[in-house]
Amino acid sequence: MELLGKLNEIFCEVFDDDDIKIAPEMTSNDVDGWDSLSHVNLIVTIETKFNIRFSHKELLTFKNVGDLLNSIRSKITTV
Amino acid sequence: MSIIINWQYNIGHICTRQQCELGLGEKVAFRWISARQERIDYTFSDLDRESNRFANVLQSLGFAAGDILFTFLPKSPEQFFSFLGVLKLQVICGTLFSNFGDDALVDRLVDAKAKGIVTKKSFLKKIMRVRDQIPSLKYIIVTDIEEHLSADTLSYPALMREASANFIAPPTSPNTPSVLHYTSGSTGKPKGVLHVHRSILHQSRTASEVLTLNESDIYWCTADQGWVTGTSYGIIGPWSLGVTQIHYGGGYDAKLWFDLLQGEAVSVWYTAPTALRMLMREDVKLYKGYELNALRHIFSVGEPLNPEVITWARTTLGKDIYDTWFQTETGGIMITNRPGLVIKLGSMGTPLDGIDPAIIADDGELLENNIQGNLCLKTGWPSMFVTYLNNESAYNSKLKNGYYYTGDTAVRDDDGYYWFKGRSDDVINTAGHLISPFEVESALLEIEEVAESGVIGAPDELLYEKIVAFVQLHKQFSWSRELEVKIRLHISNRASSIATPQEIIIVDGVPKNKSGKIMRRVLKARYLGQDAGDISTLED
Repeated sequence: MELLGKLNEIFCEVFDDDDIKIAPEMTSNDVDGWDSLSHVNLIVTIETKFNIRFSHKELLTFKNVGDLLNSIRSKITTV
Repeated sequence: MSIIINWQYNIGHICTRQQCELGLGEKVAFRWISARQERIDYTFSDLDRESNRFANVLQSLGFAAGDILFTFLPKSPEQFFSFLGVLKLQVICGTLFSNFGDDALVDRLVDAKAKGIVTKKSFLKKIMRVRDQIPSLKYIIVTDIEEHLSADTLSYPALMREASANFIAPPTSPNTPSVLHYTSGSTGKPKGVLHVHRSILHQSRTASEVLTLNESDIYWCTADQGWVTGTSYGIIGPWSLGVTQIHYGGGYDAKLWFDLLQGEAVSVWYTAPTALRMLMREDVKLYKGYELNALRHIFSVGEPLNPEVITWARTTLGKDIYDTWFQTETGGIMITNRPGLVIKLGSMGTPLDGIDPAIIADDGELLENNIQGNLCLKTGWPSMFVTYLNNESAYNSKLKNGYYYTGDTAVRDDDGYYWFKGRSDDVINTAGHLISPFEVESALLEIEEVAESGVIGAPDELLYEKIVAFVQLHKQFSWSRELEVKIRLHISNRASSIATPQEIIIVDGVPKNKSGKIMRRVLKARYLGQDAGDISTLED
């Protein structure tokens, strides 16, 4: 499955909403329930499902879904 | 001036129609600022008209006085219109945090025998999954769909388009039930704290006397309406005084918040210690260049405010922060720091006139100054809750010899200041939200791999307390990152994201007493590296 689709599935699971359609420009303001606490769940889930790790510094740079996608993509391709 | 005119205690009426009759119809009641920072101003006339429409919608659907409707919404204009419309019709309004999961919804809606719920499309999945378990639920009203989905899943915009803008709230006595908030205890299901319309007397008084609100203020209360602060001081108190509010639909963002404080010329700001601690962690350079000349006072509520935060605010912002104390059950501020009262860093402040606290020992003895005991309040203040819905025995257990036992422990010093010491039960206060360890433990036990669980609150620099879960797995399972994700998402989606443990510790066994009760005190002592005290009742 392509990266976007896999990440979309994770969003639906974490935020418990099957109607979520993620896009690179989306931010936490576009998804109901995406707060600081559920963000931790999101990151842990992404790390586990993609078998990657984000550094604390990286986490601070994520401003939208596109940033997340780029970071995941770079980690997957370098593994 | 009294806010009660012609014996009309109806909160919905006083906050809308009455303000219009007092000449404030064209005044901005609130500026809605969406998460994307679009701005819409709503006047008191708008607030009156939209809440009238919603009252008419409910009436046409067969709602009547005493029925219960919940709002399950993030902060939004519809939250305010529906809340006030519900109260105008003398229907009881329960407010739910939008991050509640399935179990949390079922517990509350079933206990209250809810007849209706107002929500958003993105939360429909949760409701539909549990709807069969809530036989009383007749209507689901969805704020962001244009057409009705079925005979009972209805479009809010479509209903409002058809509804009359005229509604006159019936004469409402002070003892008419009004607002319902659920709160967690250390055992059992959450309890429905029921208030009545007379609460507005105290909420209005404290908005004026403590928050110092007046008609020229621009006021910002960051609390969600799922929380008692969000209704008492995000709706009722300020609007009963005709005060203009700003309501922001986005989450925490230090720069954006300060842009709002400056750009909207906020004069009184009511927020939470966790948010203030997050602001304190930001680079101090962020605050350079802001001119908060309009900002007269900052208040906080939710959990104890550490002295460091007050010191930070003094040095960085040049402002004091006044910590206030109250509970869902008290309905309004009871003991508080406030302008004009010398702040003793870290204290709760002093009681308001007419509020009579006492420190009482477990055996009922009234304690002297400087001795720690149960913080109690002499009953009878106007915003006192009237019962725990369907749980009279729990209500009665909180009342002894004319005092309400708050569940907090405290001391009173020789100057009459109160100092919070902790809880007398196991309830966890994380970022101002009371979480029942029992609820989290129950949700954990729903997970196939989990054999036993024990949940405690542990000190946390940011959240005041964090949730720590001790989990014993069934023998055939082992710990993995995948299991951690499973546990996190299960708790988040069944209970709420706030209830998700910050730490999960795998153990060989959970300590219990000989009756099988989880000894959370022992878990906490072990976690903190302290002596567990008397463990003679510990199971072998």
